[in-house]
Amino acid sequence: MNVQEYILSGVVESYVLGLASAEERAEFERMCAAHSEVRAARDAFEQLLEKQLLSQAVAPPSNLKSKVIADIEIENDKRQGKKVVSMKQAPVVQSGWLRYVAAAAVILLVGSTILNFYFFTEYKKYISKYDELVASQTQMATLNQALQTKVQQYESMLNIFQDTSMSIVKMLPAAPDGPAIGGHTTVYWNNNSKDVYLVVNNLPKPAADKQYQLWAIVDGKPVDAGVFDIQNGPVKMKNIPNAQAFAITLEPKGGSASPTLPIYVLGKTTG
Amino acid sequence: MGITGTYTEQELISALKERDNQAYGYLYDNYSGALYSIILQILQNSELANDVLQEVFINIWRKIETYDPSRGRLFTWMLNVTRNASIDTLRSKGYQNSQKNQGLPENVNISGQVTQTNIDNIGLTKVLAKLKPEHRILIELAYFKGYTHEEIAQIEDIPLGTVKTRIRNALLQLKEYMQ
Repeated sequence: MNVQEYILSGVVESYVLGLASAEERAEFERMCAAHSEVRAARDAFEQLLEKQLLSQAVAPPSNLKSKVIADIEIENDKRQGKKVVSMKQAPVVQSGWLRYVAAAAVILLVGSTILNFYFFTEYKKYISKYDELVASQTQMATLNQALQTKVQQYESMLNIFQDTSMSIVKMLPAAPDGPAIGGHTTVYWNNNSKDVYLVVNNLPKPAADKQYQLWAIVDGKPVDAGVFDIQNGPVKMKNIPNAQAFAITLEPKGGSASPTLPIYVLGKTTG
Repeated sequence: MGITGTYTEQELISALKERDNQAYGYLYDNYSGALYSIILQILQNSELANDVLQEVFINIWRKIETYDPSRGRLFTWMLNVTRNASIDTLRSKGYQNSQKNQGLPENVNISGQVTQTNIDNIGLTKVLAKLKPEHRILIELAYFKGYTHEEIAQIEDIPLGTVKTRIRNALLQLKEYMQ
């Protein structure tokens, strides 16, 4: 049988349609490899068959495609899943590689322990430093508060001294041989509000059971303007609407209804 | 691979071997109808045909590595995968049982569609109908029922050599009618 007869024997169609026996298939593949005419005949019939079946195609139900695509995606996932499994098994095969990993892990563990101890010690150190800082911070806050109060005092003092409506009454010892040699006080008397502020420039320190008392002299009579202790800065006294002079006497603690002589210092008002 | 238009046979094969989902979508769009018609012709049951078509595409996906272009075209390979799956189903117990409950095997209801597709107008039946009856029965038994030549010789009570010769002649006739 020559090649042409072989081609026309029906073996080509039988092979393509899957009806050839194993023997016939093997022979046909040998013939294809050896003779391009056989290959050409096979290809021609394949194309004819394909054309025929495509022209007589029946569309499957429209929902089937999404099922097929879903199946393929599941298959894809399985395929990728297999790779993960094989990676999990890898360490069993490569125990030499695993030893290095284990050694590295032990070194890392020891290193980590040392670092932990170091950081714990550091932590303790910083805790005590922190406590110190909190304490000094509290101290600073207290000091700051005291300074604030002082500043407020000085500010009000400054207001008094700067106020243009203040009359200033300088009070000096009433007699050169009196009890307050070198004594000196000043009354700041507001012309509008009639508030009285007393500044003690210099007075002898009184006994523990005594207190100085300020008097306003109104038409020759003494009017109580309040007791005071010696301190820095002005002391607000009682409001005095009208006075020709101010005088200070030493009285029992708490003050007296009428002055006990002698007068320590005395000053006349300008008004 | 972003190709959505058409593939050359080579491009399609390499995309399929890379398990490119888009290539499988393309394959389905272009070939599912031709393969489905063969499944219907073998099983004559649209519900089973749907299952088989689904199975065929998974098989194509799984076995694409085994496809060897030197042995023939991609379509021929897919057609053989399809025919084998269909005949396996035909021979299965499930199919035998389903046929007992099935009244009209020659008419196929394409699930839900109003029109009934006559099996005589699909796949190879049209060309098959032109064959002489003694040729036609052999093709039916060999190709659509999947019997071996030996089995056919027994069924038809004719010598094996005659079966072989008649089948080959029938195939050559079939080819003539396709042209």
